[in-house]
Amino acid sequence: MRAAQGRTAPANAEAIAEIVGACDRNGEKVAIAGGATLAGMGFPPERADVTLSTAALKGVVANERADLVIAVRAGTPLQDIRSVLATQGQFVPFDAPRPQYATVGGTLAAGWLGPRRHLYGRLRDYLIGTTIVLADGTIARAGGMVVKNVAGYDMSRLYAGSFGTLGILTQANLKTIPALPCARLFLAPLPEHTRERACAQLSTLKIPPAAAFWIDGFHRAIDGDEGAEGRIFALLEGSAALLERATLELRSALGRAGVPETHVVDGGAREAFERVVDAYVATLGERSVTYRLYAFPDEAPVRARAAQELAKGFKLRAETIVDVMNGDVVLRVSDRETHAFGAKIEGFDDAMHAIEPRAQVIASKHPHRPFLRVWGTPPAAIERMRELKSRFDPNRTLNPGCFVGGI
Amino acid sequence: MSKPVLRERLVEALGADAVKTTPEDLAVYSFDAYSDGATPSAVVLPSSTRAVSAIVKIARECGEPIVARGAGTGLCGGAVPVAGGIVLSFARMNRVLEFDERNRRARAQPGCINLDLSRYVASTGLFYAPDPSSQPISTLGGNIATNAGGAHCLSYGTTVNHVLALEIVDAAGEVFETQLDGAGYDLTAAMVGSEGTLGIVTSAWLRLMVMPESVRVAVAAFDDIDSASAAVSAIVGSGILPTALEMMDAVITKAVEAAFRAGYPLDAGAVLLVENAGFEEDVDAAQAAIHAIMTSHGARSWRSAQSRAERDALWAGRKGAAGATGRIAPNYYTQDVCVPRSKLPQALRAVEAAAGANGILVGNVFHAGDGNLHPLLMYDKRDRKQVGAVIETGNEILKSAVDLGGTISGEHGIGWEKRDAMTRVYSTADLATMARVRDVFDPARTLNPEKIFPSGARCAEVSPP
Repeated sequence: MRAAQGRTAPANAEAIAEIVGACDRNGEKVAIAGGATLAGMGFPPERADVTLSTAALKGVVANERADLVIAVRAGTPLQDIRSVLATQGQFVPFDAPRPQYATVGGTLAAGWLGPRRHLYGRLRDYLIGTTIVLADGTIARAGGMVVKNVAGYDMSRLYAGSFGTLGILTQANLKTIPALPCARLFLAPLPEHTRERACAQLSTLKIPPAAAFWIDGFHRAIDGDEGAEGRIFALLEGSAALLERATLELRSALGRAGVPETHVVDGGAREAFERVVDAYVATLGERSVTYRLYAFPDEAPVRARAAQELAKGFKLRAETIVDVMNGDVVLRVSDRETHAFGAKIEGFDDAMHAIEPRAQVIASKHPHRPFLRVWGTPPAAIERMRELKSRFDPNRTLNPGCFVGGI
Repeated sequence: MSKPVLRERLVEALGADAVKTTPEDLAVYSFDAYSDGATPSAVVLPSSTRAVSAIVKIARECGEPIVARGAGTGLCGGAVPVAGGIVLSFARMNRVLEFDERNRRARAQPGCINLDLSRYVASTGLFYAPDPSSQPISTLGGNIATNAGGAHCLSYGTTVNHVLALEIVDAAGEVFETQLDGAGYDLTAAMVGSEGTLGIVTSAWLRLMVMPESVRVAVAAFDDIDSASAAVSAIVGSGILPTALEMMDAVITKAVEAAFRAGYPLDAGAVLLVENAGFEEDVDAAQAAIHAIMTSHGARSWRSAQSRAERDALWAGRKGAAGATGRIAPNYYTQDVCVPRSKLPQALRAVEAAAGANGILVGNVFHAGDGNLHPLLMYDKRDRKQVGAVIETGNEILKSAVDLGGTISGEHGIGWEKRDAMTRVYSTADLATMARVRDVFDPARTLNPEKIFPSGARCAEVSPP
């Protein structure tokens, strides 16, 4: 590994194209940096001669309010976009951690999957157009500013989730949707014996919550205090009238599952939801690793338990967030001592992937991260993915080695 | 390799029953709902993924291109053989293979008819959301190939939002799978809308949605298209997104009423069909807000459907509108462009001007809420002058849509028809980037050749050396 030779923050696509094109010709490697909020994902670059930051690539390019469409530069923080949209009664469900720092380009490139996607759709489904700089310095556009477009391949969705290994996103055109007027938070302690039943009830409600979690641990990150070990956390969104019915329905469903008491909070509901999303990537210094498991809703509670048991076998503390509506399981394993953690984590990682081949690391500052299977077992189509990389970036100039299978 | 040998090899692999080579059989597969293509060398009707794989391998060895085909309802020549070759029909791979009710998903074969999937799961209160007007006859495989839209994609999204995983046979005959969540490039997204040029989908996991508990449908009448389109822009601009928002002009409503007696007002210059589906608490409020905006934009009447039957009749009329124009002219050509929603009034004026200048009667029936126009250009294809005028009108509509910041296809695809128009919206660099994807999956250009990418000199720039 060679130390980075320089950090640069070009202000437009043309400047990026010039730098990247030159690096590509000279055999220099480029690491791409956004807000570093998802820096615990993926492998570190094999080599980075230049670190290309999108920090200067900020701001709204076009805000077509009446079309429910907005075009932004890739380095724009999610919070900035959110503020602009909020003033006009619109939103995009980014649902990514630390939105004041997270950039739209980084969030898209990481293929971030938010907890409200079961209701509002995936972030990639809001992406209607992109501008990208390829490794050879080509500036290419895809899609446009219209909400339906089938002219040619869907390049924008392909770039989303490509982790900066196909090109550098410089602009994202997003469709927006009308904001939901009200939000309400539902909190309930979740006794051990009610968990599976409560999850089953939540995921089959007639009025689905915008997000619902079964949370074990993560006290400091989410509650700021030491509350009940297991708890239910549900966000309802919609009109005031709808929330009234949804509240009754949710209460009685949890009652049927044997959950004794529930609390309803209206003020700060969305902020509390964001603390849960922030917790996805909250680390305990160098003594934790956080995985994300992909399950279907009906099997998520069981798989969360299996992962917890596995961690216990390694004498690791296990904390989980089960996204009840989508089926994702977030598992943070930790130890009190960094040294003790380091001695166990590689063994745990092997055991983890034996039961959850697709488990991905989404947060870690531990120095052993490069030795973990951070992307899980490579998918069946990995050879086609390698070929795609070689067509877009034959010299492996962009984020070399960062992606799945060493792409 | 000569045709008898090709036939022999296909029969050996699939059985005689699955291989068609008589001139009358081949002729049936040489066209789609848009145009005539070339006569294929053979038509095959595989019954399994393994058979599809075998066909691709034989085609490759015989040097024959392959055109996958669903129901042939495409409107831009996407499923017609342009360079001969083998047409692969999915007529016998038409089943729902798995249904996972609890996780709201189903796996279906590409030849499964769109509406059949919704019917299959209907008793559980679920449905498959993408609803192109062709849904009673078009197939899921074809819908995936074109990333089909429909009236309800305003709120539910197009096909790509509903595809969870794909099984694909590639240009070498190898089978591979894509999956939405998990590590790696989103090959599912690359495949959806690629019009059969990157691989042949042999099964798909699709997302199902819960049927809304409450549905309200209403029809508003306007004096002219201009005021109706201004109303649409105002509704979207005010931050209300109904479940569907469709427009029909007087030419279309007259034809629809003659054919269906659906209940559309005959004295209006344009009508808007609006649906709000969801929860009881919300649908009436949304409908009322839209009613108010329409009234302030000159709607002269508003009628809410009072029963499910009335609602279904209005939708049947809307979805059967294109076919109903058979009463007006022997032929029609459907243009498909999408513009920013605030530009609808200008876009429709441009359509009218283009049709007027060329002496073509135009009927407008389209997904107004998405800005997705479908001018139907009426003509008689036996009259060469009319054919020329229709082509000219279609081109002018494309140009005006692009000038307004729009695109050349909202939901029908590029196919054979619009490939040379791709250069209107994309630079050579943009197209070359798409070609890099094609190079990975179909370097020899044997899957649905001559589609999407421009022909001629432009083509050379985006083709592999």
